[in-house]
Amino acid sequence: MTLELPVDLLFGLNLDLNLDLTKVMTANAIVLPVVLPLLAAFLMQPLAQVSRTLARLLGPLVLALGAWIILNAWLDVGPAPFSVAIGGFAAPLGIVFYADQLALLFALAVQVFTLLFWPGLGAAAKADAAADRQRAPRRDALALLLASAATGLALSGDLFNIFIFYELAAVASFGLVCADGSGRARIATLRYLFVSAFGSVLALVGIAILYLQTGTLNLAQLAQVAPETLQGPIGLAAFALLLIGFGVKAELFPLNAWVPEVYATAPARVSALLAGLVSKLAILVIVRLLILVFQQPEASQLLLVLGVLGVLTGEFSAWRAQDFPRLLAFSSIGQLGLVAIAFSIDGTTGILAGTAVALHHLIIKSALFGLANRWSGGLDALTGAAKGAPRAAGLFVLFALSLVGVPPLWGFWIKLLIMVGLVQGGSPLDLLALGAILLATAVEAHYLFRVALRLYQPPVQDQASRLAPPARWDTGVAYLLGACLVVISVAITPATEALRVLAQQTGDVLLYIDTVFPQPLAYKE
Amino acid sequence: MIPLTLETVSYAGAVGLVVIGGLGLVICNHLFRMLLALVMAESGANLLLVLTGFRGGAIAPIIGYGPAGAPMVDPLPQVLVLTAIVIGVGVQALAVAVLVRVYRTYGILDMRELRRRMEGEIAVAAGIAAPGSAQVPLGQRPLPPVPDYELVRRSAPVRERGA
Repeated sequence: MTLELPVDLLFGLNLDLNLDLTKVMTANAIVLPVVLPLLAAFLMQPLAQVSRTLARLLGPLVLALGAWIILNAWLDVGPAPFSVAIGGFAAPLGIVFYADQLALLFALAVQVFTLLFWPGLGAAAKADAAADRQRAPRRDALALLLASAATGLALSGDLFNIFIFYELAAVASFGLVCADGSGRARIATLRYLFVSAFGSVLALVGIAILYLQTGTLNLAQLAQVAPETLQGPIGLAAFALLLIGFGVKAELFPLNAWVPEVYATAPARVSALLAGLVSKLAILVIVRLLILVFQQPEASQLLLVLGVLGVLTGEFSAWRAQDFPRLLAFSSIGQLGLVAIAFSIDGTTGILAGTAVALHHLIIKSALFGLANRWSGGLDALTGAAKGAPRAAGLFVLFALSLVGVPPLWGFWIKLLIMVGLVQGGSPLDLLALGAILLATAVEAHYLFRVALRLYQPPVQDQASRLAPPARWDTGVAYLLGACLVVISVAITPATEALRVLAQQTGDVLLYIDTVFPQPLAYKE
Repeated sequence: MIPLTLETVSYAGAVGLVVIGGLGLVICNHLFRMLLALVMAESGANLLLVLTGFRGGAIAPIIGYGPAGAPMVDPLPQVLVLTAIVIGVGVQALAVAVLVRVYRTYGILDMRELRRRMEGEIAVAAGIAAPGSAQVPLGQRPLPPVPDYELVRRSAPVRERGA
């Protein structure tokens, strides 16, 4: 029994066969961060009947284990990418997980951030403890489903598999958004559901076109056959459909009307997860498709145009927003437009800048939504909040400065990278994007500093008592993320070099194909 | 001129269903009709997916069924479409569940009205002025307070609009 298992798994792993078994096991264990949360999610409800404490601990434990497994895989098997064939069925027929540094980085981020923004951690609503105890297992199960699906999105190397994880993430997020049971959250969920489901329909049509043209949905095989079969308008149409479809979760331009409503009504930690994590993973899927399958310049230009529209609409709407969650939501649309612009730049520079701005936004926007947990009111109500919560207000200023891009902070280097990349591109469209970013930065600075100013104004008499400082757990998380930001800003050179290695690995199409198919496999109908 | 074969008609039908569904989602304001439009769009996408494996005159992809060596249709899209149908049904069921809860809370299924109420409730919860319309711009005037919908619903059953 014990002998059979590793040998069986060995066939599923496309590594050099002279690797020792422990490494193979470590690599194969990369499946567990997807599988274990799924299992735990379904065990949650029966377990809650037996022991509530155990059910409460199950989610964080599973996530911590997942993070440990991913770290192990990174340190032992990496930095070279590796792929795992699920169930031992080799690549073109079976489903593969492809783990390069980018995938592992985002898979790790999923575990860590879901843990940090775990709905049941810290000061859970004590006011209605009984109702909360009723709801907690269901909510935890949904959060675990979201973590599992998001990890799958980062790792999967098969387009249809990605589609299924995307749908799973969507369903889990619908549940999480209306978990507190208010009427307005349900309306927002319903509107979100319609938009998201129609986006999935478009993505499915795109997948059908891809399959019609190529006869495969394995990303590595698509990368092999794409240069001959997906040039021209049909390939571009497929990309446009997939872009708009997956762009729903990535908050890209046409289908992002759900963003402000959902973030204004959902619990703040759920907003943090959706805005920080899930949007990045949807972007990751689009980027993989762009790098591997759709290499024509028109595809990048389409992404660039959607990004510019997102930046402009998002930042101007944020400027007009009157309450804190919706300000953050619109600003998130703008930032994700910036991510799209960065990824549309050619070559390693684009991937480097895109990954950096995605990570930057992941850290900052999650922390800000964490702070918004108690500051969910209108902007006027924030007047003088710095008096009650000086540390939280200080952190807000730090994050705002980095979002705008004030020099010593990481945000500045990222914006510089994007602008240099756009200038090197040099086409009129690139320069238009450059102008849009500069304009958006000015707008962003205005509305963020307006909030910062309001925080430090003397409090209005009757409002001083109403504003509670953010919960201790949320402030702690914000501290941690703020510390990350400062560390990266100080160690900007090594951090950028590490990201550059990662970007080179991500942009290497041949490496992807060779990793998934160790011997060059010719595909025949 | 594209030849009018079974295949072209089916492809056109599938894409047409997606387009009709999309238009329905945009045009309809009644939530249940929007749901039906979504169902239609999903059927179109599923039909398109299953069509990608279609070969004219081919047999079902079962070994030992039909003459040996006869061309078979591609089985992979059929498997994919089964998965897609199951996912679609799941999402639709979830939509119906949320829709029923919304109807029990507000007593209406009109999307525009529900959206207005949601905006109002968000504004009340955040303590800011309710968003105005294009005809009634925001200003310094004292705006009428947004009514408490729980109270309104209890005092007078709201008649359904836009059904």
